[in-house]
Amino acid sequence: MKRRSVALTATAGAAAGLLGLTALTLPAGAAKPDLPAIEPEELVSSAMTARSPEMAGTIRVDNDLGLPALPGVPESSPLSGGSSTLRAWSDGQGRHRLTVPSEGGEKTVVDDGDTVWKWSSTERTVTKYRPDATREHRPATTPAETARHLIAKLRESSEVAVDGTASVAGRDAYELVLTPEPTERTVLREVRIAIGAEKRIPLRVVVETDGARQPALKAGFTKLSLEPQDSELFRFTPPAGAKVTTPEAPERTERARHRVVGAGWDSVLLTRLPQEPQSRQGTDDGPKDPRDLARRIGEPVSGDWGRGWIVTTRSGSALLTADGRLAVGAVPEQVLTGAMGAPR
Amino acid sequence: MTTTTPTATHRSSAPLGRVLLSELRWVLRRPRNLLALLGLAALPVLIGTVVALTGGPSPGDGPALLASVAGNGLVLPIVTLVMTQSLLLPLVTAMVAADALAGESAHGTLRGLLLAPVGRVRLVWVKATGVLVMTVLSVAVIAVVGVLTGLVIVGSDGLVTLSGTTLPLTGAIGRVALAAGWSMTQMAGIGAIALAVSALTEHPLVVLAVTVGGLIVFGVLGELPALEWLRPFLITTDLYAVADVLRDPIPTGDLITGLWRAGCYVLIGVSATVARMATRDV
Amino acid sequence: MSGTTETSGTATIDSVPGSAEFAARTHGLRKTYGRTVAVSDVDLAVPHGVVLGMLGPNGSGKTTTIRMLLGLTLPTAGTAELLGHAVPEHVDRALPRVGALVEGPGFHPFLSGRENLLRSAATEPELAGSGLRGAVTAALERVGLAAAAGRKYRAYSLGMKQRLGLASALLVPRELVVLDEPTNGLDPAGTREIRQVIADLHAAGTTVVVSSHLLSEVEATCTHAAVLHKGSLVTQGELTTLLESGGPNLVVAASDDVAGLEALRERGIPARRENGALRVELTEVDSPEVIATLVHAGVGVREARRGRADLEDIFAQLTEETS
Repeated sequence: MKRRSVALTATAGAAAGLLGLTALTLPAGAAKPDLPAIEPEELVSSAMTARSPEMAGTIRVDNDLGLPALPGVPESSPLSGGSSTLRAWSDGQGRHRLTVPSEGGEKTVVDDGDTVWKWSSTERTVTKYRPDATREHRPATTPAETARHLIAKLRESSEVAVDGTASVAGRDAYELVLTPEPTERTVLREVRIAIGAEKRIPLRVVVETDGARQPALKAGFTKLSLEPQDSELFRFTPPAGAKVTTPEAPERTERARHRVVGAGWDSVLLTRLPQEPQSRQGTDDGPKDPRDLARRIGEPVSGDWGRGWIVTTRSGSALLTADGRLAVGAVPEQVLTGAMGAPR
Repeated sequence: MTTTTPTATHRSSAPLGRVLLSELRWVLRRPRNLLALLGLAALPVLIGTVVALTGGPSPGDGPALLASVAGNGLVLPIVTLVMTQSLLLPLVTAMVAADALAGESAHGTLRGLLLAPVGRVRLVWVKATGVLVMTVLSVAVIAVVGVLTGLVIVGSDGLVTLSGTTLPLTGAIGRVALAAGWSMTQMAGIGAIALAVSALTEHPLVVLAVTVGGLIVFGVLGELPALEWLRPFLITTDLYAVADVLRDPIPTGDLITGLWRAGCYVLIGVSATVARMATRDV
Repeated sequence: MSGTTETSGTATIDSVPGSAEFAARTHGLRKTYGRTVAVSDVDLAVPHGVVLGMLGPNGSGKTTTIRMLLGLTLPTAGTAELLGHAVPEHVDRALPRVGALVEGPGFHPFLSGRENLLRSAATEPELAGSGLRGAVTAALERVGLAAAAGRKYRAYSLGMKQRLGLASALLVPRELVVLDEPTNGLDPAGTREIRQVIADLHAAGTTVVVSSHLLSEVEATCTHAAVLHKGSLVTQGELTTLLESGGPNLVVAASDDVAGLEALRERGIPARRENGALRVELTEVDSPEVIATLVHAGVGVREARRGRADLEDIFAQLTEETS
């Protein structure tokens, strides 16, 4: 019957539409590519020597660090679990642009080779840095030498291996895997870095932790174009009506407070919080004072080093003492308290 | 006398243009539709005036996008679109879709159309066009009034994007047009589904309830982490992507996904409407 | 030209397609809704040029049959044919020359009568664009709504709404006009007007199908009748034949009904009391004999006239047999 056949054809149309929607759920995954075998030394060394290319890319960060739910911190914040997307551009000559979109806003960082501009659309502020003062110069050794040195250093505490290949953002890549030696006291199981076979740039980093199937952190390109970029992208003019501030470089003084205890995967970073809560912290859609936060979500602990609160996550722990000392590491709690008590 | 007489054309259907015109006249003569357009036109004026008088919400307060309207008037049409897209625009779209088939059925006029005859498949095209035109008008009214209000009340000679770049007036209007066009496709997707519901029932209220209720349910489902696999199917997933036109350069990913999704919704909605109307007992 | 459209209302159409013997016809038409049988095995035949009354109480399947005949509803089984075209496959070829008012008038309350008709006219294939307004005006005049044409439909009375529905069915000269309960809600004057419209259509050679649950209406306007009962077609044919199928009888107004009935029954003459008179069947006796019997029995005869079975009787008879 004519009408029935019309209905049948139309039903097929609806099915096609459903199929089209289903297409959106399919991952753009590609089969693992076949690539010539490579030694880890060669891979690391070529990655070190690789020139930063002209590129535009989208980076997706999937974060499952296992931090406790933070009161007052929105779901989309990179602090809590979830995904965020960054966009990055580079002209291959030291000029970069990075944007962090959020719902209804965006943070943009533009390094025009001379000045670093940081723009926040929600606050309408521009922060200007002159990085020359703090920018570290590379050691005079050759990159190949540095790579060899780095691998040697890594081998002290880890197994370094090339574990097959992967396809990231449509590009063929080698998977470099760092596994801690059994003697290492860390909560991390392994770190996988996908390095592009062609340009030898890192395309994805995955951090796996003990006793978890989902990676604690996965950051990688979802889109990558290695074409010349519009030079306009690397320029920044503060828009009309924006508040422009030029803070004094604070890093120097802060750096002096940093100290690393331990080696390899056990490393614990010791630092001291500024006495005054940082003014920037409050506007950063997070709680005002880290001590308040630690008090709310941390477990109180004490030792011969004093009193404090400890926050334990899948990928590490952090210990904040009542007098403002902070210890952070990808290690279990005991290592952290031990480091806190370690003599200077 | 010529060989053709006006009354003896012996066609089996009236000229499509004439039927379409009659349909559009019917849609645009309905007082409630005109009121809806008027209300939508008033929204950007209202928001613009409030922002101009109060200076907008202070940073960190209220919707982030709204804060960027202050002194940046060309954001106004896009902010209004973002705010109306989730409920008001779908409501207007569903209302017109409800009138299109369920309403005609409730008034007994659907029989008249089929007896004229307007072919059943052709009737769906005519009705879909009516819904589409009303949808396009709704979005266009917001965009045009928004731009005018932005220029006159808030005042601006360009557009500061969320990325901190400044676009000239022409570029800014281009962005507004892009947002409006994209928004129209999303509403067309919703309208097509509403039309399919309209073909299923003879109670216009059911169409409104299903469409608006469906969108609210979609919004909730999209928030549940356990149902993440469902998100690509939900039209609400990327609705917010319309604000991406305010970034520079525009991230096209979500916009294109949304376009594809809306296309699928239109295909599903219109197909389901045809399938139902072809066999519906009137 | 507008002149052509104005006279078109009564123009006879000569383009009877092909070999179609009947204006409308159904074979074994059946419609079920779930377990409910709405129409079963209806073989309806409507010859060209007749005025056919579809009779039956509410719920007897009249409207469902009409809806299937017009392609509005798909039959569960059986076939239908409209002006020689198969329904529902090619119903679009027949419909331009069919005017119909099914299940009451359907219009939009926020539009005026004229605007509503213009909307209907725009979808009429047989009307040329230039003739729309003229056809609408002519139709409005024909049903006596010209004066109220500018008023909103929501302000119309039930009767005016019904007339507007009729106007819509008569926008174009039709070969077949189907009217489902056209006098619903009309006052006696309105009913008379509808009857006149039907008579005019009949005079112009248009085939008319009228459904009604009012027997008097069918009796007054129709040449043919079809009786539906509980979804089945009980009988159909020319009205005169149907009426005579009840047999000849005599209606006698007697001074004493009871005594008269007794006297007739003693002589074996079939008779019954009805509306204060005696109805005597003349199958075995003739009128003089009846009157003589009564007079002999001492019953006074005030008046005697030849009685025709009315539709009500036939209807009662037919539906009793099938139930």
